[in-house]
Amino acid sequence: MRSLARWTVWVAMSLLVSASAAAQTVPAEVIVILAKEEAGGIDPQLKKLTALSRPPFNSFRSMRVVSRPRVKLTKGRDTLVPLPNGRRLKLTLMRVMPNGRYRVKASINRPQKADYLPLLQVVASPGDPFFVAGQAYKGGTLVVGVTVDPKKRGNR
Amino acid sequence: MESVKTDEERLQMFFDGELDPEEEAALRRDLERSPEKVAELEELERLRSAMQEGARRWSGTLDSEALFARIEADLREEQELSRPTAESFAPRLRVFRGGAGRRVWGGLAAGLAAAAAALIVIAIWPDPIEPAQPSIAEVRGSEVVEVDFGPNTGTVFEVEGRAGEPVAVIWISDEEVGRR
Repeated sequence: MRSLARWTVWVAMSLLVSASAAAQTVPAEVIVILAKEEAGGIDPQLKKLTALSRPPFNSFRSMRVVSRPRVKLTKGRDTLVPLPNGRRLKLTLMRVMPNGRYRVKASINRPQKADYLPLLQVVASPGDPFFVAGQAYKGGTLVVGVTVDPKKRGNR
Repeated sequence: MESVKTDEERLQMFFDGELDPEEEAALRRDLERSPEKVAELEELERLRSAMQEGARRWSGTLDSEALFARIEADLREEQELSRPTAESFAPRLRVFRGGAGRRVWGGLAAGLAAAAAALIVIAIWPDPIEPAQPSIAEVRGSEVVEVDFGPNTGTVFEVEGRAGEPVAVIWISDEEVGRR
């Protein structure tokens, strides 16, 4: 009886701890693209991101994926993603709306500086990206896409 | 007779995902016009987060060994008090004693089960970041809620995605380009 009772409490406590930890984290994918106006082709990885073929992106004739890190966003905690130009993308999951959409805060700056994008807040549905573009890099422009919960729906 | 919900009740039900689709849609429209309600909603979320954080901390500090030692000590004390006297060896009392034992262990088991159920309820309580709550109509795409371009200039675009959903694009000038 005693061992059964202990087991019951431990199971409940384990459930509590694991559920709490799991519920506060959501996966996200950051895609860093180097876009240029000269010809060079579009990276096949970007085929599903149809938004990149529309204005204002359609002036680019080449797009190459520089990196595609997968991260985990935890509510209220900053997640840093290094960018190839030395800046860092900081992502913070602010909340999940009652309809399951994510409110995400983002900024792009050098460490200890506020030199580019101080603040951005976006509401995004699971699997739907948002983009920040405009940073100059290696003769082109960096386009940074962020998709929260990318497996919920295919990339758009 | 259908009861009339107060704004507070409606907001709480919305937060818990208990409103029917029509009511939730109406409330969403209200929320767009009422920063006060949005603030109340955020307060509810903060309260829930605080409760979950408290539960997590509590579970981390719970000394189960001490808890069981205390339960067992209480049980021993109770059994001592209910130990039969000489005249209590009559069949009627033996039956009662057996029943008492079952009640004690049954009560303990019921208590533990209730505690476990309570913990599980806390554990599976839908978290603000857990997208398990029902949605009225699936909203797709992304949109900018707030942006600060700092010293730079920028533009917010709404680009059409594959299925026609809006995709937020923030285009911000790179000050380093301007310096060159």
